Amino acid sequence: MRAVKVLERLLATIPIMLGVAIVVFLFMRLTPGDPVDIMMGEAGYVSEGEIENLRREFNLDKPLHVQLYLFLAGVIRGDLGNSYTKHAPVSELIAERLPATLELALGALIFGLVVAMPIGIVSAVKQYSVVDRVSMAGAFLGISMPAFWLGIILMLLFSVRLQWLPVAGRIDYDASLQAVTGLHVLDSILTGNKAALISSLRHLALPSVSLGAAMAATVARILRSSMLEVLRQDYVTLARAKGLVEFLVVTKHALRNALIPTVTVVGLQVGVLLGGNMIVETVFGWPGLGRLVVQAIFSRDFPLVQGAVMVYAFTFVMANLIVDVLYTYLNPKITL
Amino acid sequence: MLTLKRTLVVSASLLMVLALLAGCAAPTPEVVEKVVEKVVTQVVKETVEVEVEKVVTATPLAGPQQGGTLVVGLAAEIMTLDPADHRERTTETVIRNMFDGLVTRTTDGRVVLELAESATLVDDTTWEFVLKEGVTFHNGEALTAEDVKFTFDRIISENGIDYPDPHTSPRKGLVSPLESVEIVDDYTVRLHLSAPWPVAMQMFVHQQILPKDYFEEVGNEGFIKAPVGCGPFKFVEGSLGDQIVVERFDDYYGGADELPPVGPPLLDRVIFKVLPEASTRVAALRAGEVNIIQQVPSHMIPLLATDPNVRVVSGPSTRPTWMEMNVNKPPFDDARVRLAMNYAVDADTIVETVLGGLGIVIPGSLSPYNNFADTTLKPYGYDPDKALELLAEAGWTDSDGDGFLDKDGEKLAFVVDVRPSDKTNAEAVAGQLQELGIDATVRVWGDYNVLRPLLLDGERTAFVGGWGDSAFDPVGHFEAKWHSLVEGTGNGRGNFSGYNNPRVDELIEAGEVEPDVEKRHELYDEAQQIVYAEVPAVFLFLPDTIEASTANVQNWTVSADGRLNLHDVWLTQ
Repeated sequence: MRAVKVLERLLATIPIMLGVAIVVFLFMRLTPGDPVDIMMGEAGYVSEGEIENLRREFNLDKPLHVQLYLFLAGVIRGDLGNSYTKHAPVSELIAERLPATLELALGALIFGLVVAMPIGIVSAVKQYSVVDRVSMAGAFLGISMPAFWLGIILMLLFSVRLQWLPVAGRIDYDASLQAVTGLHVLDSILTGNKAALISSLRHLALPSVSLGAAMAATVARILRSSMLEVLRQDYVTLARAKGLVEFLVVTKHALRNALIPTVTVVGLQVGVLLGGNMIVETVFGWPGLGRLVVQAIFSRDFPLVQGAVMVYAFTFVMANLIVDVLYTYLNPKITL
Repeated sequence: MLTLKRTLVVSASLLMVLALLAGCAAPTPEVVEKVVEKVVTQVVKETVEVEVEKVVTATPLAGPQQGGTLVVGLAAEIMTLDPADHRERTTETVIRNMFDGLVTRTTDGRVVLELAESATLVDDTTWEFVLKEGVTFHNGEALTAEDVKFTFDRIISENGIDYPDPHTSPRKGLVSPLESVEIVDDYTVRLHLSAPWPVAMQMFVHQQILPKDYFEEVGNEGFIKAPVGCGPFKFVEGSLGDQIVVERFDDYYGGADELPPVGPPLLDRVIFKVLPEASTRVAALRAGEVNIIQQVPSHMIPLLATDPNVRVVSGPSTRPTWMEMNVNKPPFDDARVRLAMNYAVDADTIVETVLGGLGIVIPGSLSPYNNFADTTLKPYGYDPDKALELLAEAGWTDSDGDGFLDKDGEKLAFVVDVRPSDKTNAEAVAGQLQELGIDATVRVWGDYNVLRPLLLDGERTAFVGGWGDSAFDPVGHFEAKWHSLVEGTGNGRGNFSGYNNPRVDELIEAGEVEPDVEKRHELYDEAQQIVYAEVPAVFLFLPDTIEASTANVQNWTVSADGRLNLHDVWLTQ
């Protein structure tokens, strides 16, 4: 039954993706700035007809509805077109960059959860204690700190001053890692390359913390408040009255129910992680999709922006589908 | 149970403390500003001295050393490794270390022979190049006239590039007068032009030679993934958005005779790493992760100057900066008001304070380093009394005593548009104008590509910004900035003042095809004098290009055109 529902939901993403495609297409065309003019750079030296030729090559001389039709026809065939500036198929460019972005987002997610879960739980159990107050002040700080600022501060502290961690990049040049999935950490484990594993984890550390800090703070706060609510419920009191060990009461009875709102927030945070990626990737010289998109937007590389935004939208929809599926495990009363 | 909880608590509090510490590590903004101002003047003297010393004494204490890996922090992503398929400086910088051209440029902008043994202008429209013999590509293939013809044909022919779809090279416009390439013998080619083309040699610097046989064997896509050139370094691996790794090409013919040392490069390996964020580049340099960084913001110089392992190097850029004024819109449709602005702005002070002395005041529409700059022109100079006098003549006086000039009940007020990179410059200009009762305010546009069409359509009033052109020839500047706009051509592509003078247009068009250097000087002198007199802009300054390296990088200096020629560079161990 669950499988059928998941399949249904997957099919439902098709109209969503189509909608996203049309909206991005129109928004990019409404933005002022001519891609061909931008591409020709600043200096003069443009020969007669050169700009018209490029415009024709990119189909920009055709009416908007024809351009949209050509784009959608391509999307349905699985062809996202070619980048104006990089002269390469968009799908190839995205495939090259996506693993880096996913690795960073997963790193941030794991960091966020590892930090947020214990803080959220302990703060709720020891409400109004020193630990609770310090944690929540810290969480407030975490939400307020912009990722790029945190990134630069961490970089100055751990890379420039202490020289513990590298400033930028994904892996050392001499790690000679064999690519399997494109996720460096995973590839290092799969190929048993210990040097590459250490190198890629060292490179991943600071960007993950910068990107995951805000999420950790949000999740910790949500978990704390839902834990507080659950801990006051009768069945928890009953569990305690039965003489159950406090640790089990908290982790097994309370946490499971408190996780439902938390999982919702984590799902939504995936969107924030993808957005924040653009900034953190720029700061840490991380060769991911976010930086590619920022550059594509500034150079009005329409096909590249369209393709990348669709990938983002798809990832976001998928993350929320996973959240919905998780609900059914956390609380069997919930159906898809 | 208790211990677990305690561990959690301890680790959580530790994290919080860490976060707080990190917060404390940043000094308050006030302190930072003070430090910056104090150090700036010191730095200026230091860097200038160092540079001059380096240029004059070409032989440092220790001789050239072989070996080592040099890492470059690039400010922008690399677009492609196809020398014919982009229009981007950083991309060309990387490509230029793997590919050589017929000619190249010295750091101060002089054109010298590279792959060519000689270059002769046979007649007004024909250049003959004799190639050096014994030059080989990275795959062992010998360089011949066939390769030169193949390279240029690919650029100038319609749909000459076939990956990912057939299209025409975006570099065609850089050699637009080139009509055909004729092979005379194995080592001689003739380049036929449609009309006399005085900038030819400057523009041939930007075309790099490809190996015909290899290219045809692997195809366009295969070539981009494994490029082969005849430059000092050969491609090893890498991806465009991340890093490109190149290694020494042992059979390198030596490069330009005028750029010593001649011979194979000294470095074992070079890694070009993409680091678009300036603070990251500076951090990576200070951490010793990269050896050379480009585009150092001037406010970061004081920080770098305190680091003994870092050397900041600067030199004149190719981007004169002006405040262009819309000549078709009040208040700047009155030439007296535009002239008054030139007297009202103290460019010397801006160079000293905002640029930290790293730049020079310019008298007119061209960089003083341009080969055709009219040296008789002098900056208008700061003269607030004269400015107010001219404004009064144009009807602008402070009649209501509110501290601002007015005319017919309207205040003299306008918005200065600017890109984030020129924000401080524009604020300095506006501040000086404010002091004279001119209500100039600054609007920063995050995305230049939104602003640019508005400027070209004459919808804005004033713009502070620079215009780059690495050819040291007036064509790139005059055609784009001071020729009246002609849609679909290079003319007026950057004419933000809406300036339109038929005589100047005529002079520009004549200058582009005049083969005689003397006559060209006359044409451009006249054009410069007209623009100087009609003042479509406040002529501000030429800022320096600022780059930095670790102290162990030798025989490297800033190139005016922003290129990084690593063939001659070495590292001390």
